[in-house]
Formats: sequence, C-alpha cells, structure tokens
Amino acid sequence: MTLSPDDWEVIRLSLKVAIVGVVLTLPVAFGLAYVLARGRFPGRILLDAIVHLPLVLPPVVTGWILLILFGRTGPIGGWLDRIFGVTLMFRWTGAALAAAVMALPLMVRAIRLSIEAVDRRLEGAARSLGASPWRAFRTITLPLSLPGVWAGLVLGFARSLGEFGATISFVSNIPGQTRTLPIAIYTALQLPDGESAVVRLALVSVALSLGALVASEWLVRRQGGRAHVL
Amino acid sequence: MSFEVDVAKRLSEAEIAVSFASDAGVTALFGPSGSGKSSVLNMIAGLLAPDRGKIVVGGETLFGGGVNLPPEARHAGYVFQDARLFPHLKVRANLLYGADRTDAVMPLDEVVALLGLGPLLGRWPRTLSGGEAQRVAIGRALLSNPHFLLLDEPLASLDRARAEEIMAMIERVRDALKLPILYVSHNRAEVDRLAGQVVAIHR
Amino acid sequence: MPVRRLVFLLLALLAAPAFAAPPLVLAAASLQESLNAAADIWAARHHARPILSFASSSLLAKQIDAGAPADIFISADEPWMDDVARHGLVKLGTRVSFIGNRLVLVAPASSARPIAIKPGFPLARLLGDGKLAMGEVNSVPAGKYGKEALTRLGLWDAIASHVVGADNVRSALALVERGEAPYGIVYATDALASKGVKIVGVFPETSHAPITYPVALLTAATSPDAEGFRRFLISAAGKAVFRRYGFQPK
Repeated sequence: MTLSPDDWEVIRLSLKVAIVGVVLTLPVAFGLAYVLARGRFPGRILLDAIVHLPLVLPPVVTGWILLILFGRTGPIGGWLDRIFGVTLMFRWTGAALAAAVMALPLMVRAIRLSIEAVDRRLEGAARSLGASPWRAFRTITLPLSLPGVWAGLVLGFARSLGEFGATISFVSNIPGQTRTLPIAIYTALQLPDGESAVVRLALVSVALSLGALVASEWLVRRQGGRAHVL
Repeated sequence: MSFEVDVAKRLSEAEIAVSFASDAGVTALFGPSGSGKSSVLNMIAGLLAPDRGKIVVGGETLFGGGVNLPPEARHAGYVFQDARLFPHLKVRANLLYGADRTDAVMPLDEVVALLGLGPLLGRWPRTLSGGEAQRVAIGRALLSNPHFLLLDEPLASLDRARAEEIMAMIERVRDALKLPILYVSHNRAEVDRLAGQVVAIHR
Repeated sequence: MPVRRLVFLLLALLAAPAFAAPPLVLAAASLQESLNAAADIWAARHHARPILSFASSSLLAKQIDAGAPADIFISADEPWMDDVARHGLVKLGTRVSFIGNRLVLVAPASSARPIAIKPGFPLARLLGDGKLAMGEVNSVPAGKYGKEALTRLGLWDAIASHVVGADNVRSALALVERGEAPYGIVYATDALASKGVKIVGVFPETSHAPITYPVALLTAATSPDAEGFRRFLISAAGKAVFRRYGFQPK
C-alpha cells in the first residue's frame, strides 16, 4: 500500500493545520488556565463555561458560530480582511482556527491541572529569596507546570488532527486548503470507487493518533509521571 | 532592636495576636503546635498580611504606618519547616537561587564549608535525607544575603545526631554573621540552648 | 392493582408504533420542502407520516449500499440510483423517474444582476477572487451537473480553482445566501425556496444531462405503507405537489 501524491498533500495539510492551530492556541490556553487556576474574580465560572463550550457544543454549531464571526461577511472576519488582509474563509488559516478552537478546552484543562498542582508555598519560598512575582512565575511555576503543557500540546494536536465538524461547516471542503485528513476520508467515502482511498487514509489517521498518544505518554513519564492528561 | 513585632490576624477560626520586642542574637518563639507560630513568621516574611500592626526588623519597617513591603524586598532568610527546596533544580541551583543580589555577604564556598554541603551539590532534592535537605535550606537562606533569619522548627524532622550538628551550625552562624535570628520551636531544650530571649505564644 | 394497570398501559404504548410503521425515505437534499409537503398530504389521508432523511444522493447511496434499513430512495441523478441497483438493492419494477429540475446560477439577493449563460460567458471575470459554490463536483449530483455544464460551455478550466465543493446542494446554497461566495450553481427549485438568493441565469438544457429524480422501493423495505407512498409520489396528485415547488413532472 503506497500513498499517492494527493494523499501526501492531505497529510501535509493536516499536519500544517494542526501544528499552527495548536502553537497559536498555546499562549491563549496557558493564560486562560492560569487565570482560571489562580484567579478569584466574579465571572470566573462563566469564563470556565465559555472555555468549555467547544467541548460540549455539537461541532457543527461551533463551526457555524465561527462562520458568522469570521466569514468574509462576519464582523471579525471582515475586519481582519480589511485591516490585515487576512482571509480565513475557504483557507487553511480558517481550518487552523477551527482546529484551535476545538483544541482549546482540552489544552486549558491539562495546563490548569498542572498549574493547580504546583505547590504555592514553593512560590512563597522563591519570593522570600528575593524573586519578584514575575521571576517566581518564570523560574518556579512555569517549569513545574510543564508536564501539563506538554500533555495539553499533544492532546490538542491529536484533537486538531481529527477535527471535522467545525472545519467543514466553517471553511467547507477545499482540496489543498481545508481538506484535512478526516474530511478527505469523508469525501472519499462518497466517491463511487473511494474505498481504497478510505482505507489508506484511515490507516494514516490511526498511525498519527497512536503516535501522538505514545508521544504523550513518553513525555509524561519523562517529566516524572505524576501528571494526568485529563 | 532586632525585632519589634506587634501584629494581629484573624485566620479561619482563631485570632492570632502577638506582640514582642527583642534585642537578642537569637529570639525564640516558643509555644505548642498550632499556636500560630508559623503564621507569625509568614507575616514577618511578607507572605501573609496582618490585619493590623507593625513589624520592624533591624531598624527597618517592613509593615505598618502605610508600609507593606513585598516579600522580595524584605531580605528575610526564611528556613521553612519542610525545607521547601525547589524540586526541579539541583542542590547547587537551589543554593544559588537567591544569590544574585549584588551585595553578597557570604560566598558560596564558605557556606558550603560551614554546612558540609560539598558532596550534595550535584544531587536532586528528592534524593536528600531530611537532615541534608534542612542543611541545604539553611545554606540557601544564608546565600540570599538576608538581613535577618527566620527558622521554623528547623530540627523537627531530625534525629538526635543531626539535630546536634545543625544546632552547632546555627550557633556558628549566630556568632559569625551577627544577623537577628527568630527561631520557632515547641522544644524547650532547643530554645533554652540557643535563644537569648524567649517569647511564649499561647493558643 | 394499580401497578398491573400501569404495566399494561406501558406495554400497550410500546406496542402501538408496531401497528403502523411509517416508511423511511432517503431523499436528495434538494427535495427538502417539496417532499415534506407531500408527506404532510399523505399523512392527512390517514397514513403514518413517512420519516424523511435528506442528504446528498452520493452519501445516501453509500449508506444504502452499506445496508441502511430504508424503504424508499429518491436520488437527484440516475447514476447514483444505478449504483444502488448494481448492488441488487432496488426492488425490480419500482424505479420511476418522476420529476425534473433545471440548473441555475445564483447570487446573493442583494447583488444579483442577470447574466446570459452561453458558451464562453465571462464567469471568471465575474467571480474575481471570489468562490463559486457548488456541490462537490465528483459526487454530489448538483456538482456533477454543474461541472458538466461548465465544461460544455468551455469555462471549466478557467474557473476550476474557484470552486468550493459543498457536501450537498443546500450547503452550497447557504454559502451564497451568506454572501461568502458571490455565485453558486444550484437547482432552480433551491433558488425558489430561498429568499437570500436570486437566479441570475439558467443553464441551457443542452449543457448537461437531463436532471431527473428516480424514486424506487428498496429491497430492505419493511413498512407496509412504503409502496403506497411511492405510488402516491408518482401519481398526478403527488407530482402536482412537486410542481408547486418548481419541479417539472415527467
């Protein structure tokens, strides 16, 4: 079984979309995780709920909301187009946004758990030794919460690779731009002789997912093993 | 005056109110477990804010009269009861964590010699025994150029031989560095041996 | 004993549907409004209202081939019904192509201006850097007809890179309604059903294979009502319902 040039294009696109989506989401996810873990402000529960929306809403609804906001005729999409010349509609950038939004709750959860597990008394010790709050964060909190960051990254990456509903309802199914792996399998399913393509791409999908899970386990063990993924 | 402390704080069920002034080299806070001794140290170190009061150490106002210095500005050398070494840094890095302030009082080699830390420098904190960790914690506090030391039951988890060693070290530090030292313990024997003045705390 | 009565009532309620199992109809997406209207009329004649499921004919055919337990299939083109028939899943003698449709070019209602669709008409220039929303051109009937028409008119190569292939013709329609695509190719009936788009041109019938909808009973059919509903659809009264929505009775 060999992969055709079209197959490789799909795989490259999926990897590009997933990596970009997850990397751009990481600072946002970390910030939200920190605020939710440490903050005490009115509306914290509401923020927590909003962050988890993509996890519980039907993906098609999430995609539709993205379409309304970020489409060419949407408030944010139109603004991005006018001011920055950035188009999300029908492009891999939109697919990356859909992947990022769907991965966000998983990443926030993993990172938040890790931050909550950092003993705040260690931060107090750092402060007593002369560290400013920023230095205590940078040298104590951040390194100690890295297991959650890695777990979040890998989870988010795996989720992005498998992202389908929000992507297809937001940026449709454009070969080379938004036809990621799951969408390519879905398309092949509807072609008269698509079975062989379905099998090939499904095997690739399984291989990538297994690879991501194994990497996640290895990272967790390497860091000392106590961090949970969810 | 080494220590002028007059603070009150309401904590969940109990109210802590402590007031003392001392000029001794080592001042002891003596009282049973749970009487709030650690909370007093936390207030002096700036990790806990008193509801009201005044804290002046070595002539410098840390709290009171509108002043509330953040912990990093108080120059407290705080040795915690559970050492609280940073688990992701080796012993050497732990020791040097607070040491990049420009006016170093004791160089690393001297502290290492004083506390016998040579063989431990390349080890991870989780591989240390209770006594070894406690010695590293003392070294770390000393190396952060403290203006005063806060020792919270530093001998609590040690066996007799180790406790003897550390007590001797504390005496050496007291005599060599001339820093105000506030020593918390519920052990009368330690307190009697080390302290110039004893402040008793009741529940 | 009140408990015994409750149990009897529960069993009776559970058994009730078995007496009049409505037919499950898998139908092309473009039939949404018209088939619902036909089902309403059928139900008004004291039958169980059929259960309707709409999607692209390609997706439905694949599901039927894979064993989906449906009673009736209505496809938007002949090849997909042929596909199901090749798998031996069509009940012989029940396949009838009963209505037809036209292929149109649409634009958002706010910007629509009429265009004459003939060989070489300037579609690429009209699109600019915008997209042409169609059904997926290799599988969805509306997309296949569209590609065929554009190829016959000599325009396919010029605009192929502009095409957004949607899951089904209704998704393509939605893209134009939202203004995300300046033009789309859908059925005349879709345009009529939507207030958000206007027809700017009609594809000549010579530019594509005739658009006909075959309906057939499936070998997996279990509902006793299925054949009756199929007969109603292909009757004069049934076709009249579809004519109201813009289809051409055959």
